[in-house]
Amino acid sequence: MDKEVAIVGYAQTPYVADFNESREMMVLQATRAVLENAGIKREELDTIVTANNDYLDGRTISNMRLVEPAGSWRKNESKVEMDGAFAMLYAVTRILSGDHDIALVLGESQASVYAGILPGIMMLDPTFDRQRWLLNEVSAAALQASAYMDASGVSEDQISGVAAKNLDNASRNPVAMRSIAGADAKKVKASRPLYSPITELMMAPQCDGACALVLASGKAAARFEKPVWIKGLGFAHDSYLTERPLDTMSSLKMAADSCYSQAGIEDASSQVDLAEVYERFAHEELMAYEALGFCEPMKGGAFFDSGATKMDGKLPVNASGGALGANVECAAGLARVIEAAMQIRGEAGDHQVQGVKTAVAHGQSGICAQENMVYVLGGE
Amino acid sequence: MAAKAGKEPVPRVSMPLDPPFAWSVGNWIEHFFDGMKEGKIRASKCPSCGRVYLPPRMICERCFSRADDWVELPVTGTVRACTKASVKVAENGDMVDLESPEIIAMVQHDGADTCIAGRLEADDASIGMKVEAVLNPKAENALDLLAGYRPAG
Repeated sequence: MDKEVAIVGYAQTPYVADFNESREMMVLQATRAVLENAGIKREELDTIVTANNDYLDGRTISNMRLVEPAGSWRKNESKVEMDGAFAMLYAVTRILSGDHDIALVLGESQASVYAGILPGIMMLDPTFDRQRWLLNEVSAAALQASAYMDASGVSEDQISGVAAKNLDNASRNPVAMRSIAGADAKKVKASRPLYSPITELMMAPQCDGACALVLASGKAAARFEKPVWIKGLGFAHDSYLTERPLDTMSSLKMAADSCYSQAGIEDASSQVDLAEVYERFAHEELMAYEALGFCEPMKGGAFFDSGATKMDGKLPVNASGGALGANVECAAGLARVIEAAMQIRGEAGDHQVQGVKTAVAHGQSGICAQENMVYVLGGE
Repeated sequence: MAAKAGKEPVPRVSMPLDPPFAWSVGNWIEHFFDGMKEGKIRASKCPSCGRVYLPPRMICERCFSRADDWVELPVTGTVRACTKASVKVAENGDMVDLESPEIIAMVQHDGADTCIAGRLEADDASIGMKVEAVLNPKAENALDLLAGYRPAG
């Protein structure tokens, strides 16, 4: 893609355990902030795509009362019941259709409203797995981790190291909910055991929050300062978790391959300056290094050990702290896109990485990352 | 997070509904359950590519066809993934500590192309371990027909 769609504004609310405001006021805060950031008025929005989920909100048509705070009254609006990175996909395609010039994308949810990890259980096959009450998002991720560790030789220490890196990075990100400055792998490994090898600090924490961005067509982007261009995008869907090998994120690789071919990326490890990866569990970041082509298959552990993905490495991953710092369902993948765009614009503050020209952002949906979305972003 | 300084927490209301859902398990899972009442493990097979689904699936995702051939598989299989659970999920969605850990495994039955997630009665488990299904043909609840797995032999 060559200067067809650009990110021209972004905003994130703080991510917190309890926002202590209604969902509507939380969304209004994000919408107003993103319009201000882009320097536009609500009237200029042509189309709005939100990401939210009926089950997480405890009501059907969860976008119904978002008409007011999302600025979508009497406008072209719809929602996606997946991560916001997928809502962005639909907004991009609407702009590419030529019918719209300015789009608002917003992802939000409030973990303080719903019942812990029960919504994840509702993703399971209702006729069998759900009834047996053994699988849930965490136990399924633990099974994924065990298969990956067996195939790759990755150790619990390496997985703990990823979590420590991200929790330390999160200490420099003002919107993160959970952070531990100077975190080390030992502390992560020794945290509350859940499903081996997963401990509490290896699991992304559920929280409240909203994030949003404004997209503009190539034509409309000219009036905005510092547009961040979408150079490529790719997405792919895999089989249900019991019907695919769990040791590889094959749908993420398919998504990345498709995205890279649009973006002209032949060697991601040398052409990508920074990545924001939606790691719902620490081991998924290692699996993503491989699927995103940052290293060879099954070498994610060695790539991490090389230090390449640290803040000062050659390819920093999750300088923001990633989802391990804050995991708002329906928003955390979109937040990865926002963080990558902030890095390109040089606006990431204390967690800014120098010289970021090309960045990868990743979103996922479903148990054990069943569906994956990848963007390549770039500046002028 | 604590309420913002000088501000009362937002009052909470709970949903005044407890909506029940009742899925039909479908003919394929029913056939699987009926088989276990006779001590048999029945899997569906795609007539086009030969992929064997256990638990049985109605549609082969690869061929876009009805997976309506049936095969009987042995109770034996191999552990493809496993975890030691220190917690379980309570009805309110919290993870609560188990009194003693339990093993959950993904088992690929011999002859199947997919896995069943089940409880493995063992102190420890590893990938590649040979296991066998423990059937309970007299179970009143269909979900208890497959009690779990144990080390083979």
